[in-house]
Amino acid sequence: MKPTELTYTLPDLAPELLEGPTWLNQRRQSLRETFNSLPLPRRGLQLWRYTDPSRFIVETASHAASVNGKFEAIRTVEQKHVAEGRLVGLVTDINGREIAVHGLDEAAKSGLLVMALSDAAKSHHALIEPHLYSLVNAQTGKFEAMNGALWQDGIFIHVPDGVVVDKPLHLLRQAGGVGSAAFPRLLVVVGKNAEITLIDEYGGGPTDDSAGFAYANGVVEIVADEDSRTRYVALQRLAAGTRFYQTHRARIGRGAHILTIPLAFGGTLSKQNFGVILDGPGAESQMNGLLFGSGRQHLDNHTLHHHASGQTRSNINFKVVLRDRALSAYTGLIHIEKSARGCEAYQENRNLLLNEGTRAETIPELEILNEDVSCSHGATIGPIDPLLVFYLNSRGIPEREAVRMIVSGFVADTLKHVPEDIRERVAAFVDERLGNL
Amino acid sequence: MADIINNQKSDLSRFNDDYTAKYGFHDPVDYFHKGARGINHEVVEMISRMKKEPRWMTDRRHEALDIFLSKPTPDWGNTKLLGEIDYDNIYYFMKPIERQQDSWDDVPDYIKKTFDRLGIPEAEKRFLGGVSAQYESEVVYHSMQEDLKKQGIIFLDMDSGLREHPEIVEKYFGSVIPSTDNKFAALNTAVWSGGSFIYVPPGIDVRAPLQAYFRINAENMGQFERTLIIVDKGSRVHYIEGCTAPVYSTDSLHSAVVELIALEGAYIRYTTIQNWSRNIYNLVTKRSVAHKNATVEWVDGNLGSRLTMKYPCIQLVGEGARGEILSVAFAGVDQHQDAGAKVIHAASNTSSRITSKSISKDNGRTTYRGLVKIHKNAENCKVSVECDALLIGEQARSDTYPTMEIDNNKVRVEHEARVSKVAEEQLFYLRSRGLTEDEARLLIVNGFMEPFTKELPLEYAVELNRLIALEMEGSIG
Repeated sequence: MKPTELTYTLPDLAPELLEGPTWLNQRRQSLRETFNSLPLPRRGLQLWRYTDPSRFIVETASHAASVNGKFEAIRTVEQKHVAEGRLVGLVTDINGREIAVHGLDEAAKSGLLVMALSDAAKSHHALIEPHLYSLVNAQTGKFEAMNGALWQDGIFIHVPDGVVVDKPLHLLRQAGGVGSAAFPRLLVVVGKNAEITLIDEYGGGPTDDSAGFAYANGVVEIVADEDSRTRYVALQRLAAGTRFYQTHRARIGRGAHILTIPLAFGGTLSKQNFGVILDGPGAESQMNGLLFGSGRQHLDNHTLHHHASGQTRSNINFKVVLRDRALSAYTGLIHIEKSARGCEAYQENRNLLLNEGTRAETIPELEILNEDVSCSHGATIGPIDPLLVFYLNSRGIPEREAVRMIVSGFVADTLKHVPEDIRERVAAFVDERLGNL
Repeated sequence: MADIINNQKSDLSRFNDDYTAKYGFHDPVDYFHKGARGINHEVVEMISRMKKEPRWMTDRRHEALDIFLSKPTPDWGNTKLLGEIDYDNIYYFMKPIERQQDSWDDVPDYIKKTFDRLGIPEAEKRFLGGVSAQYESEVVYHSMQEDLKKQGIIFLDMDSGLREHPEIVEKYFGSVIPSTDNKFAALNTAVWSGGSFIYVPPGIDVRAPLQAYFRINAENMGQFERTLIIVDKGSRVHYIEGCTAPVYSTDSLHSAVVELIALEGAYIRYTTIQNWSRNIYNLVTKRSVAHKNATVEWVDGNLGSRLTMKYPCIQLVGEGARGEILSVAFAGVDQHQDAGAKVIHAASNTSSRITSKSISKDNGRTTYRGLVKIHKNAENCKVSVECDALLIGEQARSDTYPTMEIDNNKVRVEHEARVSKVAEEQLFYLRSRGLTEDEARLLIVNGFMEPFTKELPLEYAVELNRLIALEMEGSIG
């Protein structure tokens, strides 16, 4: 296999990207150089085995944003939820450029800080500088360097020590139209013993890729201090004409707990990478993923549990449902460091193939560098059990309904972890994709 | 200049004449008793000429050498150790004694002694079908029992196989593993020497296992066996290959190629126990093709070597074919066992099972690297993969990289892997029954390996248990 030759280099950064503090401008410049000096990732390695990295290089500089009706409808509903007190607040992010915060007045009194990242970089230097680029940076990879250099604006959330935000905060991101490129970025700092639930929703983009595609390259960094509790839901429901690349990293400290729920439904080509670094004894990470691919979607997901400290626990359950000619490539790595003794790590990947023509690739990897661990993974791939369908048929349930029931059952234990506010909507995505099967 | 070369050539050809008459093969230059270090087209030509091979084989060797030279060293796996191989410092061909022995009496004493230690004569007395003992690069002793011959079973060393059955060899040699497959397969194709050639005609059940012992015994000596086993319709065979080697001071490369062809309804089991000394690089390509309703089983034990990279493969190309791979890896001090299994389901109603057991001790490292692929048109396939790893010692490392590529939805694929240390409660239980901690640990390890050991012939199982006991001595640290 020959490496893809692609020599695209990032031109000088536009002046509007260099309006921040000096240290930030320097970081951007150096990340631009990193992007230009790094080759494309090698296809031979597990992480890129199934997805061509050159498809994530875009030369377009257009940032054309389009706000479609669906976005407005969801924004209206969510604003109503804020007003009703079901959500603590709503942040809208249009094409990684325009950040607007709704609600949150009450919560702000407790010290919860939600604002545009570009503003925070100027006004909250002490909070931003140590954390921005601390988890996703030049060492992470070429595309991460690209976001790091080019992000226009992002979202910054700070939950101070001891502050418990008891209702979810909804981040609603809107991709642009054909030919647009967005670099959304999120930085979350959760203090000691603090608690927050985030719904990070990515939508929009062209409805098909016949006229070209929209591109988004997102980064999420979550730094969670001792004994904090974080729930992070990534709902990816981008329209069919979008290419999406995303890297998420969370580092959790001693006794901290994090729940991560990657939900992947959209895009023509999507590669998402979710990683949690367990960095103190007693840290615990739970990941419940769900992917539903249809049409000719190519959905590539990676999960990482990096046990940097002993006495940590992690568990992943990643479910995949595929129909039509969709492809899912799932790679999951559990890495346990030499010094991290007494860890427990589990990983499960189940793939349900609804018809012929689907493709499921799975590589659940383990790298265990010390003996004092308990670690396992499992993966299954198969169609719906015809016996189950037969059983339901024999009870008078028509075939399509039977399939719907079985798939609902398959995804149920993931959905139960999804915050109530969007659970119905997520269930509706599953239902919608089961239509005309 | 041309004259000098011509003179030399005529000198050489005269020398050759004499040599041929005296020893029965071509050997133009004396030093080819041990060959020279390094690899080039001259070495390849020399090997082929000495063996009096047909032109097509010589051509294939040359072609393969070009492929070897053009392919980069793999950029995956243990790239550090792979990078340390010095291809120019290896002997690519070597002859320990001048020609093949026809009977046991002709085998030199010093070689016999080695075999005695391995237990060959006794084993043969007991039940073996035939012995093909390899000492250094060439087969030195080969016996085949009368009843095998009567049944039309061919069990030869590969060199003799090529001489006596060129039509079969030409048809199947490289058909499963072309030299373009990987760098080490190309190297083997260029310089292969020795190995086994087996052909079982249709409808024959070879009841006693066929065995070959391998042994490396010179410093910096490469071993490039080439094994080809063809089992015709409805026949069954069990082939056993085992090896042990003494410790040398510098690194040595072992790069075998094994091709198995199970025709319709045939059954092949290939058992290997690899216990090379801990300075040897064991980079082996093993692959089989199972036709309609055929079964191939690899039983693969890796105990020795510094670095082993070996992923026995089964291609299920006919309906109803079945594959099974059962492997054990043990990595002690400074060892890296990068082993695994590959199954390609290219036909419908095929099934496979992979069971991998690995033990990492001290700073040893085991890697399971597997592939299960189900082709688009292969329906109703069943796959189950199970990997268990046991870690003993704070520095031990275990990696699992299973890859599953499923292009058909009418499948049932299951994969499971577990990594753990020896459980404290198990140790406690055994100690409460009066066992010492050493004994308890050994018992647990033996139990862990049991699915593998129970598939081995008795004397191998006994030997394996003894080896494990040796490895486990003083393991409490």
